Amino acid sequence: MTHSSELLKGTLQTIVLKVLKDYGKTYGYEITQRVKALSDGSIALTEGALYPTLHKLEAEGFLKTEKIIVGKRVRKYYMLTLLGKSEAKDRVSEFIDFMRTMGAVLQVEINRQ
Amino acid sequence: MKLTNDHINYIIKDLNNRGIVAEGIQEELIDHVCSAVENEISNGKNFVEAYQEILKSFGHTSGLREAQKQTLLFENQKTKIMLKNYLTIAWRNLRKQGIYSFINIVGLATGVAACMVIVLFIIDELSYDKFNTKANRIYRVNNEIKFGGNHMTMAYSPAPFAHSLQQDYPEIEATVRFRTLGSYLVKTSAGKESIKERKVTWTDSTFFKIFSVKVLEGNPNTALKAPASIAISKSMAEKYFPAKSALGETLILDNKYNGKVTAVFEDIPATSHFHFDILIAMVGDWPVAKEAQSTVYLSNNFQTYLLLKEGVDPKGLEAKLPGFLKKYVGPQVAQILGGEFTMEKFKASGNKYETTLTPLLDIHLHSDLQGEFEPNGSITYVYLFSTIAIFILAIACINFMNLSTARSSNRAKEVGVRKVMGSLRSHLVRQFLMESTLVTIFSFLLAIGLCFLFLPVFNNLSLKQLQLPVESPNFYLILFISSLLIGLMAGLYPSFFLSAFKPVDVLKGQVSRGMKSGTIRSTLVVFQFVISIALIVGAITVNRQLNYIQNKKLGFAKDQVIVVHDGYALRPNVQSFKNEISKISSIESVTVSGFLPVEGADSWRNDNTFWKQGNQPTTENLVSLQNWTADFDYIKTLGMKIKLGRDFSIQFPSDSSAVVLNEKGIQQFELGNDPIGKKISTFDGQLPDGSPDPSKVKYWTVIGVVEDFHFSSMKEGIHPLGVFPGKSDGSVILRFNAGSTEQVIESIEKIWKQLAPSQPFQYSFLDEDFGRMYAAEQRLSKIFFVFAGLAIIIACLGLFALTAFTAEQRTKEIGIRKVLGASVSSIVVLLSKEFGKLLIIAFVIAAPLAWFGVDWWLKSYTYKTEIGVMVYLFAGVITFVIAWLTMGYQSIRAASSDPVKSLRSE
Repeated sequence: MTHSSELLKGTLQTIVLKVLKDYGKTYGYEITQRVKALSDGSIALTEGALYPTLHKLEAEGFLKTEKIIVGKRVRKYYMLTLLGKSEAKDRVSEFIDFMRTMGAVLQVEINRQ
Repeated sequence: MKLTNDHINYIIKDLNNRGIVAEGIQEELIDHVCSAVENEISNGKNFVEAYQEILKSFGHTSGLREAQKQTLLFENQKTKIMLKNYLTIAWRNLRKQGIYSFINIVGLATGVAACMVIVLFIIDELSYDKFNTKANRIYRVNNEIKFGGNHMTMAYSPAPFAHSLQQDYPEIEATVRFRTLGSYLVKTSAGKESIKERKVTWTDSTFFKIFSVKVLEGNPNTALKAPASIAISKSMAEKYFPAKSALGETLILDNKYNGKVTAVFEDIPATSHFHFDILIAMVGDWPVAKEAQSTVYLSNNFQTYLLLKEGVDPKGLEAKLPGFLKKYVGPQVAQILGGEFTMEKFKASGNKYETTLTPLLDIHLHSDLQGEFEPNGSITYVYLFSTIAIFILAIACINFMNLSTARSSNRAKEVGVRKVMGSLRSHLVRQFLMESTLVTIFSFLLAIGLCFLFLPVFNNLSLKQLQLPVESPNFYLILFISSLLIGLMAGLYPSFFLSAFKPVDVLKGQVSRGMKSGTIRSTLVVFQFVISIALIVGAITVNRQLNYIQNKKLGFAKDQVIVVHDGYALRPNVQSFKNEISKISSIESVTVSGFLPVEGADSWRNDNTFWKQGNQPTTENLVSLQNWTADFDYIKTLGMKIKLGRDFSIQFPSDSSAVVLNEKGIQQFELGNDPIGKKISTFDGQLPDGSPDPSKVKYWTVIGVVEDFHFSSMKEGIHPLGVFPGKSDGSVILRFNAGSTEQVIESIEKIWKQLAPSQPFQYSFLDEDFGRMYAAEQRLSKIFFVFAGLAIIIACLGLFALTAFTAEQRTKEIGIRKVLGASVSSIVVLLSKEFGKLLIIAFVIAAPLAWFGVDWWLKSYTYKTEIGVMVYLFAGVITFVIAWLTMGYQSIRAASSDPVKSLRSE
């Protein structure tokens, strides 16, 4: 089952930051594949949402980029800046807090791994 | 598996066709699609199937485009990018309109540079004497005496003033006096040659307590306390005692005073109203020291300064001073004039005796009395220059605004298109402000460069050592803020004006037509020319007044006269020197006297009270007379005219008690039409305390009347004067034939060297000494000229660009007129007419303004030139001609251009 994109909207930046934090230098398509694998195929990032998010994060100074020529193609790698690294940590802990709150609001138990 | 090049090319082309073209996102999407396709193919699909699959996951063309659009939106929302965009557009516009941008930037830069230089000048003028830490508490004592045909406002006080003031008024913490007597010949005890030093003064030991002059060697508390001690500046110490300590060494002054150096002080700062190099202690039994101990209140020779205690109100002290005069001066005057004298009576008969205080910080700019140490500055010029600075900046800013608005009509279409594309008004305002700020920043950078280049020239002209405060961060901050301010001010009007256009009107072409002549623009042009005309009138007036003074009939012949200074250095050979040089064939006449008919350090002054013989020496009868001693050849050598009677002559032995008076003197003594043979009297001899002895009176017989001649600045009138025969060896004055100047000087110097081998031979030309009296004015008028010229140039620069622009706007009109048969001249007239009208309006406004200004300035002169209507007309015509020449070039160029070119393409 895939999650609705409405739910994903608010967490997209957190997902991207966390993926980049765990895997280091990554390019656009790779990010979608990583997320797909991590979620067992239930989260499919749409490209239409991914790239604006990446550009926005870059403009805010959380990401830096590196272009590498692969055959006929140019591949743009993203990685976290120092600022991005602390931001990734903050966003994740913020999300955990959010889930806890949501659990309380919705009266359900949320497993913590 | 990897995609082949063909596949990749296909994907690139296909995505391109689907509209994925934006820089920054295109490459990324291509890579993404390729990677995804590769992945699908490795799952067993063929290329076509895989590609379709991926496209589908993107949401086909619309999905792809959405991704691109979202990304672009993010990027373009960033203000940084918008700023960059504004900058690019501004830069392109500046380059496109090269000539206008150039005029704008250069004009503004010149204006700003001129302003900076003037501001530096003003700051310097305002900073005088501020180095004194106690400056707020230091006051100078002035005396104003009006009596016996003389009216003197002096920075001098009687010798005992300082002591008595301090004794009577506890508000006073300390006092210091100065007595300056021109230059001294100085040498060390080992030295043979004397050097002439001009900055020498006698002073009290409190000098270092009151003024913040740093003592480098010696003790400031004890220096100058012992008789025969002196203090010298660092540069003097280095000059006379190189490579050793000057402390304890001896300097010999005028070959007779041996002064022991008790302190070496740091050179007095440039921004001080005095710059002494040698201070001589006023204690002991040298003549000046004795004079300083005198208790006579009747001769004013000492500059006296008071240091008040903290919190004392100087006005309160000043109010007590009439009582002080009554207590000390009154009795002494009464003693001479007989018991009936009282201060009240003295004042009641129209005379004046008043003592006032001038704050130290006001001396440089507000004081111009007899007995100033150096020529001071003047607040008038500070105001004058501030006004010019503001004018120049205003003219430059007006140019800038005019050109921006004028040019903006060309940009109306740009505004229209921008608005249609979704620009908000605020965006446009921001864009135009950005452009004007960019121009001002360029201008300020250029202005700093210009300032560096021209500051030395200005320093040369103004005899100052001004420097850009390049080390001070405030300087840059002020520059930056003012560049922003000027940029905003100059850009505000055009930006709001332009951004208010309605796109429909603009694009239909209805707005740009109405923009050609704006009322505001005309007003600004008029304003510029009002300033220019007023400045020209001002410059001509200053020039004419100075010429008038220099060429006014002086009453003596100043040309072809050499003054050999320090005649006393020849002692005892003064007379033989005179005899020797009289033998030189090209020398017409020689006289020995310290009194010169010009003011300056080498020219002596002496005044005494006289009365007509037969009258009682009472207040009403006394005449304060310049009492000049000279030998018999004085009047002849200086080319003065005897109006009545005769000059001195050795054939009349009785001439040793004769006097030649000037016309003013005859008038004051009321000697009538036949003064020859009448006598004037004066006190001769002193009581032990130094005051005149009423029982000893001497008589002088009037043998001649000399035509009035000017012997001080034209700012003052002519006072009563008498030439008395006697020894006065301050200078040897000689008149020589034209054409042999160098030879004359050479032969005089040879004789001097024979008679006074170790003394410096110094000379000057009388006409140059005379010119020096007006040196400060000459300098200021030159500076005034330069800046007035600059203002006019900047104004014309603006006019030039404005006409060029108008001509450009009307190219088609001119083309059609020409096709229909208009001549070149009629078109030139057409183009110039509009500005001609503005100029006439400007003239009408400027003339009365200039009249007021000129009238105000000339008030300070007793003898002033007439500034007729012609000067105003001349200024108007000059402005018109300059303006017309600038416009004329453009007009003629536009008028003689080929109509085919302007009409061919629409």
